[in-house]
Amino acid sequence: MQERNEIVKSQENIEQKTNNRAVAIPLVDIYENEEAILLHADMPGVAKDRVSVNIDQGKLTLTGVRELRRDGAVQWDEIGEVEYQRTFSIPHTIDAGNVEAEFKEGVLKLILPKSASAKPRSVEIH
Amino acid sequence: MWNTANELNSMLGAMGLLRSMNRIFTDFDRHYSNSFVWKISDGAPRTSMYDSSDRLVITAELPGVKKEDLNVKVQGKYLELSGERRIDIPEGFEKRRVERDVNSFTRSFTLPYDIDVDKVDAKLESGLLTLTLPKAASEQLKQITIH
Repeated sequence: MQERNEIVKSQENIEQKTNNRAVAIPLVDIYENEEAILLHADMPGVAKDRVSVNIDQGKLTLTGVRELRRDGAVQWDEIGEVEYQRTFSIPHTIDAGNVEAEFKEGVLKLILPKSASAKPRSVEIH
Repeated sequence: MWNTANELNSMLGAMGLLRSMNRIFTDFDRHYSNSFVWKISDGAPRTSMYDSSDRLVITAELPGVKKEDLNVKVQGKYLELSGERRIDIPEGFEKRRVERDVNSFTRSFTLPYDIDVDKVDAKLESGLLTLTLPKAASEQLKQITIH
């Protein structure tokens, strides 16, 4: 839990875009129920401390930098060093202060809880 | 100049051309980003191979694949990666967007050298598999002393 919050809060170390890394779009799955939206993104080979999640003015930005150490002659290379980057618009019903993030096995998992006022409510009739 | 541009614009607008051009570009972008930059169409993992004097290093992208769902087989010059990627849809949630593949995959390689099978090292870290395949002694360069 502690770690999750750290990832969310580390807004300062958003990676600066550099010219020598290709930008890749991480593939995502999005799930939703009445309580929350879940977002799972593939970022294979990215170290946990190079992942950042930033929420600002209704925009959710995911970034992750993959650095590879390798030597020898290249035979083929489909992987390369990349900077994963993707931005989503999130509905204002998301409680941005309570977003949780987890990064495991190269997959970033976000839980975006909906704020109490956005949850469906049934009104009792007197 | 301004007038000409304006006229041209309204003419194209009337023809609905601009709108359909925009649509073409959106489709193009989407196609490009999903299948060219990022995805291999058949779902096989992307790999790379580097050749050092005493070993080959193969890396493969396997996000979300667990160690126990992954098989690596080597025989002589033949290498096979196979496995399965499972995605558990969290209970009580509805899918809104699905881009990540759920599948079983196999990718096989013919290596340029014979491999010392007993010394192969495999490491799965952060969704990236790194295979270190030491070359068999007979394949390695040997320094010859000159008399």
